[in-house]
Amino acid sequence: VRRFTDQAYVRTRLAIMGTKLLSREEFAKLVAMSLDELSAASRFDTISGESNAARLITFERTLMQTWLDELSALLRPLKGSARRLLTHWASRYEVLNIKALVRGKIGQLPNEEIEKTLFRLPGFLSLNHDQLLNTDNVVELLRQLQKTPYQRLATQALRRYEERPDPFLLDATLDQQFYGELIDRAHHLSGTDRAEILALIGRIVDGHNLVWSLRYRYNYGLQASEVLYLAIDGGRALDRSRLQEMLHADTLAEALGHLPDGVPGHGEMPRQIPLIEATMRNELFAYATRAMRHSPSALTSVLSYLVLRYSGINQLYTIVHARVYGLSDELLHEALDPLHEEAA
Amino acid sequence: MRAGIDMRHITLTLMRDDLPRASLVLAELEAFAPDERPLLESELPEIPGTAFRARMRRAWGHLDRLASVLGELPDTAPDKPRALLSREQLIEIDRWLAEAWQHCSPCEDGLHRLEDEFRDLRHLEQSLNDFADLDVDLSRLQGGKGLLDIRIGSIPADNLDRLSEVLALSQHLILNVSGEGEALRIVIAGTQQTAEILDRVLLAAAYQALTIPESFDDNPDALRAELQTRRSDLEQQCAQWRSRMAGWLKLNGEQLRQAKQLLEAAEPYVHLHGAARSRGSLAALQGWIPGSRLDAVESALQKNLSQPFLLQSRSPRSDEMHLVPVPVKTRGILKPFSLLVQQYGVPRFGEFDPTILFAVTFAGMFGMMFGDVGHGAVIVITGILLRRRLHSFTYLFALAGASAMLFGWLYGSVFGVEHWLHPLWIAPMSDPIYMLTVALGWGVAFLTLGSAIAIVNRLLSGDQAGAFFGPGGVLPLILYFALLGGLVNLAQGNDFPIVATAVIAITLTILIAHQWHSSDAPYGERIMITIIETYEIINGYATSSLSFLRVAAFSLNHVALSLAVFTLADTMDTVGHWIVIVLGNLFVIVLEGFIVAIQTLRLEYYEGFSRYFYGDGKPFKPLRVGRTQTY
Repeated sequence: VRRFTDQAYVRTRLAIMGTKLLSREEFAKLVAMSLDELSAASRFDTISGESNAARLITFERTLMQTWLDELSALLRPLKGSARRLLTHWASRYEVLNIKALVRGKIGQLPNEEIEKTLFRLPGFLSLNHDQLLNTDNVVELLRQLQKTPYQRLATQALRRYEERPDPFLLDATLDQQFYGELIDRAHHLSGTDRAEILALIGRIVDGHNLVWSLRYRYNYGLQASEVLYLAIDGGRALDRSRLQEMLHADTLAEALGHLPDGVPGHGEMPRQIPLIEATMRNELFAYATRAMRHSPSALTSVLSYLVLRYSGINQLYTIVHARVYGLSDELLHEALDPLHEEAA
Repeated sequence: MRAGIDMRHITLTLMRDDLPRASLVLAELEAFAPDERPLLESELPEIPGTAFRARMRRAWGHLDRLASVLGELPDTAPDKPRALLSREQLIEIDRWLAEAWQHCSPCEDGLHRLEDEFRDLRHLEQSLNDFADLDVDLSRLQGGKGLLDIRIGSIPADNLDRLSEVLALSQHLILNVSGEGEALRIVIAGTQQTAEILDRVLLAAAYQALTIPESFDDNPDALRAELQTRRSDLEQQCAQWRSRMAGWLKLNGEQLRQAKQLLEAAEPYVHLHGAARSRGSLAALQGWIPGSRLDAVESALQKNLSQPFLLQSRSPRSDEMHLVPVPVKTRGILKPFSLLVQQYGVPRFGEFDPTILFAVTFAGMFGMMFGDVGHGAVIVITGILLRRRLHSFTYLFALAGASAMLFGWLYGSVFGVEHWLHPLWIAPMSDPIYMLTVALGWGVAFLTLGSAIAIVNRLLSGDQAGAFFGPGGVLPLILYFALLGGLVNLAQGNDFPIVATAVIAITLTILIAHQWHSSDAPYGERIMITIIETYEIINGYATSSLSFLRVAAFSLNHVALSLAVFTLADTMDTVGHWIVIVLGNLFVIVLEGFIVAIQTLRLEYYEGFSRYFYGDGKPFKPLRVGRTQTY
């Protein structure tokens, strides 16, 4: 009975929260609004600050906080492995903070500048950003990180960085560890939850692997074996041997010819990496929308909702940001929907 | 009983120069929580201390890093009057700490380098052991020989599977894996043609090559001696770095201590953030204060501030109820119960504070489930004996034990023996049905009390719909009573009363209508929400009432367990008899006592708190001296 009521609670919550997801048409309406109308609609007008830049930072944090509050509400009836999986998903934003810190330290930015790019996260994600900020360089930052729950990750990143200080190698290490842990937690689930959540995560990993493998191989000129090593395990259609087939091709166009059938957009994949990224993202969102409504696993519906909601929040922020700084409609449309712009 | 009801909002208007002193005075009293809302923004647009805060942060950064190299820094003297930190002093301290870090950071680097060298040495020694049985010259293996490319090194254990898979794809093999834990030692073989590719993959896999000395082809004993010499060298270097650090600390410890003390004294000022505002030489500070501390705060400010000030206070307005912080009980007999309440949540401002009710009902239910004079006395004595470890939880042990003793007296049970004392009330096993009925009655009373508190709480917070229609509200309570009355009648062999049927029908209809109207979901989902929410209300009362049967069940269980111990003891000789009696009683006290405590807590949290306690209040976190908050 408890399991039934918990599932009912989650579904009911999702049904109510689902109404907050904006459709393409609703976003188009927001884009067409004047700054005043947009500020009122997005509640940007309720945010005070010394400057627009400061207001935008607060706005972004408010949106992020909304997302985290919703996550907390959905976490409430979940227990055990399901709860651990979603909590780990939230730590994605801690990983993004670590990446921002590393990039800031490599670029030798002042701490105040780096701090502006960090998410303010809730208690259960408890990295002490102050200690990490107060470091002189990346090596010291990673040594500080070794004293946190990210110790294993930091040790590996430190070894790699000392050998060759490439920021992308660190990024790849962080992503590998994050998704590795996520998939490991998904394997601890049982029955329908496991199969359904792995299908969703597999699609997320496929998108990540495809885009980054192509970037590493054809933009950065890395060797195929090295790219294969940096790929994340747990993809749905793009396992390592499939990736190997692709990456042995000499050109991007040739590589895309080896895309397996299961990859969305197969046969009509664009030839530029940002557009490939947008295609994979759109396909993922279409899948997540279906999974949110129809998946027999409530946990998968929740994760799908969180993925979609986060994307919606990002788009809203992008629109407000563009309008506050007076960016052109063309640039805004390109940022929101590069595929549509390319077709136009 | 209403949480934080005497909280006041204060505005302290003063001269800007006095702001640091005022913040220190307020922090020493621990009676003021800053309110950062921009209420005074139009009159006082500036937030003072922004540059000071940035400099403080930098200075703490240096100090933290020094502490990570030097170990615990000398403690500040608690009895010494706290001096205020001026801007000039802060600049000077920051500069000095930066220089100190410049002096000490090579030591930190040196120690890290030595750590790496120790690790390599350890791997080398282990590799020597790994290959001890093979007649192979390792120094010849390392690097390229002809067409063959062989590597010996270590990788993190997590990376082994992925590396094996990728190496197989690039015509390399892992020949040997040894070691355990986080790092594994491996030997890789491949062709020279693909050596460059291998380098890059190994880099991505965080591989570390082992540098094998030329003398590795020497005899094993000479080699071991050489490695031992290297180890001694490293230990000596380590000791040198540490002694250098200790020397520096001896010379500069006092200055470091003073710097830390001054920074700590300035912490309250920098943590005011937007709660302090200024314009020119005028400043204002706003926040929350318990009404009972208002006089003490005013007189302390009068004593310490050199220039005039104005302290205004008011009650919280209705639109800021959700922002008022609530002090939690941190002293006395209620402290452990307050901590357990906080595990669930902090009472909202003006909400019924459940701590006292929780303490009384917790002790009562524990006693009823675990009623035994002897076992209760053991719990009291254990609490007293372990008071240094248990701290405030000694009270919880004492109260729970005393309650168990009281119920033991009512049940006539001493260490499970039921003929030493005449029961003042009833021996549970003599009439289990009566015990279950009492437990159910207690559950109904507990749930009714919980619902009544929930209704009052919701009315106080302006949630009238919740008070009437929400779970535990007026209508669900009427529905519950009608159902209960009908079922009692049925149990007594009568018909289900028509009045009860009518009341159930009316309340259900109203509840369904309310659920329908309060949802704005699409049609299909609205039906689902209405059915589930209404079902939840009825199901919630039914399952919660039955949940209290465990109170009687555990009192019966206690007697049954004791009987089992005595039956087992009776099968033994004299010595065995007493051993079984003592161990059996210990088993009952530890295991059953623990289970009963958890069950009581469960009843409190799930059947009590979830019904009437919002628990989403803000805890009162007063400004304190010292480094208690992050920036």
